[in-house]
Amino acid sequence: MNALPPSSRDLVKPADTPRRRVWRRFLRHRLAVASGILLAIMASLCLAAPLFETVLGVSAFKTDLFARFAPTDSQFLLGADEAGRDVMTRLLHGGRISLAVGLAASVIAAVIGTFIGLVAGYRGGWIDRVLMRLTDGVIALPLLPLLIVLTAIDPAKLGLPESIAYSEQATLYRITIIVALVGWTTVARLVRAETLSLRSRDFVRAAVSQGAMPSHVMRRHILPNCASVIVVATTLSIGNIILLESVLSFLGLGIQPPVPSWGNMLTNAQELVWSEPWLAIWPGLAIFITVMAFNFLGDGLQEALDPRADRSTN
Amino acid sequence: MRIVTVSRQALLLPFLFLAAILALTSVTYAKERLTIGISQFPSTLHPAFDSMLAKSYTIALARRPITAYGPDWKPRCMLCTGLPDLANGTAAYETAENGDPGMAVTFELDPKAVWGDGVPVTIKDVILAWEIGKDPKSGIDSAELYRRIDRIDTDGDKRFTLHLNKRTCDFKNIAGLTLLPDHLERAIFQEGSEGYRRRTAYDTDPTNPGLWHGPYRVERVTAPREILLVRNDAWWGTPPHFDEILIKVVENTAALSANILSGDIDMISGELGLNIDQALSFEKRYADRFQILFKPGLIYEHLDVMQDNPILADARVRKALILGADREAISARLFEGRQPVAHSNVNPLDAVHSEETPRHSFDPETAAALLEEAGWHVGAGGIRQKDGQPLAIDLMTTAGNKTRELVQQVLQSQWREIGIQATIRNEPAQVFFGETVSKRKFDGLAMFAWISSPESIPRTTLHSDMIPSEENGWTGQNYTGYSSPKMDQVIDDLEVKCDPADQERLWTEMQSLYATDLPAIPLYFRANTHILPKQLRGLTPTGHQYPSTLWVEDWRWEE
Amino acid sequence: MLRFVLGRIAESLIVLLAMSFLVYALIGLMPGDPIDLMLSANPEMTSEDAARLKALYGLDRPILERYWNWLNAALQGDFGYSRLYQKPVLDLIPERLGATTLLLGVSLAFTLAIAVPLGVYAAARPHSTVDYGINLFCFAGISVPPFWLALVAIILVAIPFQAIPAGGMGEPDAGLWERARHMILPVATLTLASVGSFTRFMRAAMLEEMRRDHIRTARAKGAGPGRVLFVHALRNALTPMATVLALSIGSLFSGALITETMFSWSGMGRTIYEATMGNDYNLALVGLLAATAFTLAGNILADIAYAVLDPRVSYRSGGAD
Repeated sequence: MNALPPSSRDLVKPADTPRRRVWRRFLRHRLAVASGILLAIMASLCLAAPLFETVLGVSAFKTDLFARFAPTDSQFLLGADEAGRDVMTRLLHGGRISLAVGLAASVIAAVIGTFIGLVAGYRGGWIDRVLMRLTDGVIALPLLPLLIVLTAIDPAKLGLPESIAYSEQATLYRITIIVALVGWTTVARLVRAETLSLRSRDFVRAAVSQGAMPSHVMRRHILPNCASVIVVATTLSIGNIILLESVLSFLGLGIQPPVPSWGNMLTNAQELVWSEPWLAIWPGLAIFITVMAFNFLGDGLQEALDPRADRSTN
Repeated sequence: MRIVTVSRQALLLPFLFLAAILALTSVTYAKERLTIGISQFPSTLHPAFDSMLAKSYTIALARRPITAYGPDWKPRCMLCTGLPDLANGTAAYETAENGDPGMAVTFELDPKAVWGDGVPVTIKDVILAWEIGKDPKSGIDSAELYRRIDRIDTDGDKRFTLHLNKRTCDFKNIAGLTLLPDHLERAIFQEGSEGYRRRTAYDTDPTNPGLWHGPYRVERVTAPREILLVRNDAWWGTPPHFDEILIKVVENTAALSANILSGDIDMISGELGLNIDQALSFEKRYADRFQILFKPGLIYEHLDVMQDNPILADARVRKALILGADREAISARLFEGRQPVAHSNVNPLDAVHSEETPRHSFDPETAAALLEEAGWHVGAGGIRQKDGQPLAIDLMTTAGNKTRELVQQVLQSQWREIGIQATIRNEPAQVFFGETVSKRKFDGLAMFAWISSPESIPRTTLHSDMIPSEENGWTGQNYTGYSSPKMDQVIDDLEVKCDPADQERLWTEMQSLYATDLPAIPLYFRANTHILPKQLRGLTPTGHQYPSTLWVEDWRWEE
Repeated sequence: MLRFVLGRIAESLIVLLAMSFLVYALIGLMPGDPIDLMLSANPEMTSEDAARLKALYGLDRPILERYWNWLNAALQGDFGYSRLYQKPVLDLIPERLGATTLLLGVSLAFTLAIAVPLGVYAAARPHSTVDYGINLFCFAGISVPPFWLALVAIILVAIPFQAIPAGGMGEPDAGLWERARHMILPVATLTLASVGSFTRFMRAAMLEEMRRDHIRTARAKGAGPGRVLFVHALRNALTPMATVLALSIGSLFSGALITETMFSWSGMGRTIYEATMGNDYNLALVGLLAATAFTLAGNILADIAYAVLDPRVSYRSGGAD
């Protein structure tokens, strides 16, 4: 990885668009590319979980007391767990959940954070101060009692249909929402800082002087320029949320069975670590590799999207 | 290239530190000390506040109740000379002050019994316990026994007679009357009962030897990690083997089992240690290094069935649920037979257990037939329906309890086979017990355990007076709302008809009513799993709420 | 400048007050007050017992009134009694805070001792094999579920090497050596988990510095690479590091729940967790508010560091972390 193409080559190519430049810079970060591919494969495998169940004739959900801790064979590719369920397809179903929570929570958080950061940075003054103190408050907000209190609130009373409120997936929604509601602060701060610096740039000033509405300036001129920061922070936060979910499972406050997640599979396996260590190795490895891949992907995106990164190779 | 050396040194530092420690530390463990790992720290050492397992386990090393149930599940004297008996006049019926039928029971404290500072244990200590217990401001959690005592007559320093305003059959056991040292605690109590709880020497000065009267006394309390107990020189009974016992708290049970392997602790208490899965997993790998004892006990795991739910109000559905659950297979496969199937709320080891109790063995065909009879017919997706409503039942338990979660998922799969859809919704213990169960907010089945002493009459859980409600301040534990005049009568009689023949008949009737009405679906009796060093002898697991540490003087070390 | 700082402090005090009510309400709203829990644990308690105890603890009054009473008492320095430990809360906190600060302080020192040189080294050779290796190490550390890392550390280290304890803090009167022995595993796992982000941050800050004009000038003037790195770039790159350090002050006091639980280290993280789960209102409140206050203080410090030390630094370079 020593000899990197001189960036001057980018300049001589006439058909070079900024998008292509970003793409090329991204491709240079081989670990990021590998991570991206790995995540894509992983996601499609997870989506194909029901297919694997049909083909192999196993179930990730149906318990079978006689297949408890069954060893690896042509049917149970990674053996069976403490309730006689196939570990491999369970891992894939768990991956669906873990990835979905990570993705959904970080996207919601990014939307909230972007909005707050934009308004605070662009409007400034007391709005900025109130919003930033709100951010401070949320950063300092204790997650633990919040989670416990929210588990006790009856979601049906909040107007949610009973089919969702009392379903087995209820914890899934709850955790996604809570994580998003406390997780927007990073994006908010980054977007605010970015907005502050963009606000004084010439093209923004020009737009303002021509009488553009603030909402128009924010949407058309500032938001697109914040995109790279948002994308990078969101990518990185997916990994963090997957880790957070495993910690919540460890504390008994995560996604509840029978819905599998990597976090609750790992926590369950911890109890059986003396006799069936592999039950813990698989979900542990899945979390580790996925989180690492998201980190590398974020890293690669950051280098690709940061226009200053080019100069660093000079 | 300078940077390289800098960073290498920085990297090396922690490793050097590690290596130095490995080389220089020589650990010597005193053989006279036994270190016991438990998973919870007691919130207080005062015998009458905050009943919790961690506390009763620890203080049983340092104090003795007047009576207790032994490992043989029979009441015995711990600090008295003999149990009261109607035959010899130490127990007698009389009329209470308020005119109700009452009784008088007489005990004599062990003449040799002394507190750790040499002051004899006398009736003064009994009277102080009663005074504190009946004072509404002292903050004792359960004042029931104390309220029952009209007066205490004394005869000399050691002999006393309790005059009770209620006649019961379990009068032999007065473990609930916890002696408090008059020479230390009276002055504190007399400063005002309101703040007594905060001023008690058990919390402010727990290492005072005068507070303890067991084989050991508390030497050091390091909350929330350790309690060190040392030999009590004033102990009058058999001297215990170990000079010191260190109780060490490791909350995470995976870390707890790692601690015994790394030698940081010598044994894991069965009362508050590993759950069955962990113990079985541990046994598979380390059976040759440790003694592993499984003792099924009075921890009765069951599903409380909400009687207000119209689906579950139908006895046929309840019966289908129990017939559709392969509890034998759960016990055999998941617990390797270590946790026996429960057929009612009474453990087979209990003297009052009846063999005549109807049993519901796994029978999915009959279960399906019952559901058909009740009007539930198989519909879309294999789930039964009636009037367009699916046969769906909530199945709740405490989140994070792995064994329960596992059983729950197995039950879900098994019930699905007969067309019942069980929806699992778990909550943290705090929410589950503090709100959902205790305020009767669950709608279907709630899985949890009752822990009791032998021969305990299930009044609080089965009598219709004990259904928690807003009006009664959510007291009582009949969470299912089970209401049966027959059962109420049996329970009332059980408490007062003490003739052995009556007792046997009533207990049999109670169990058979339970197994027929199914206010709850019995699952299994939980086992305590003790992980002990090979050399430890003489520890007998009890399987009930009186911990094995009450007989610590029998523990021996054999090389 | 002074006005800015005072203004920030005043604003944060308002946030703290609002948080105190929010936290009080959250804890008060948690289902199952201590008496409810006692009721479900002790079958012999009667409705009179429950009513008596609720009145005794003041749990029968509305939450606003309880908060107001609590606030008044708290402002006079009375934070109440811990239900779980039967001691005044203020007697408990210093010891726990000390334990946490010791654990996290030592691990932070190790983290910095590793992260700064690693970050500088990686920045000196961006995109080299070594840089990628360091990257891999950094990401590996932050991608492991912390409880799993702790369990693996116990299995791989404490069980084979009995001189390294699997948990606990040693005897209370133990010497420095005994303490240090018990710190090996918790410090090692904490360091491993945090060294990644600090290294990444250091590397980013160094790269940012090296792009600056004065570094280019120094290079052009023929300063050696080592001199450029240490004298010019490192000095300036440590400024954003100071910001990040200030932001991590909060966690220094709120503790590391997972590590503390796995290694039975009685610090703030575990104390707050236990108090919350055990409905020990007073202890949980004070613990959570102390953590909030320190986090807010850390934010102020970070803002000051950001504003005073180097106004040019944008958040962008640290954005990834």
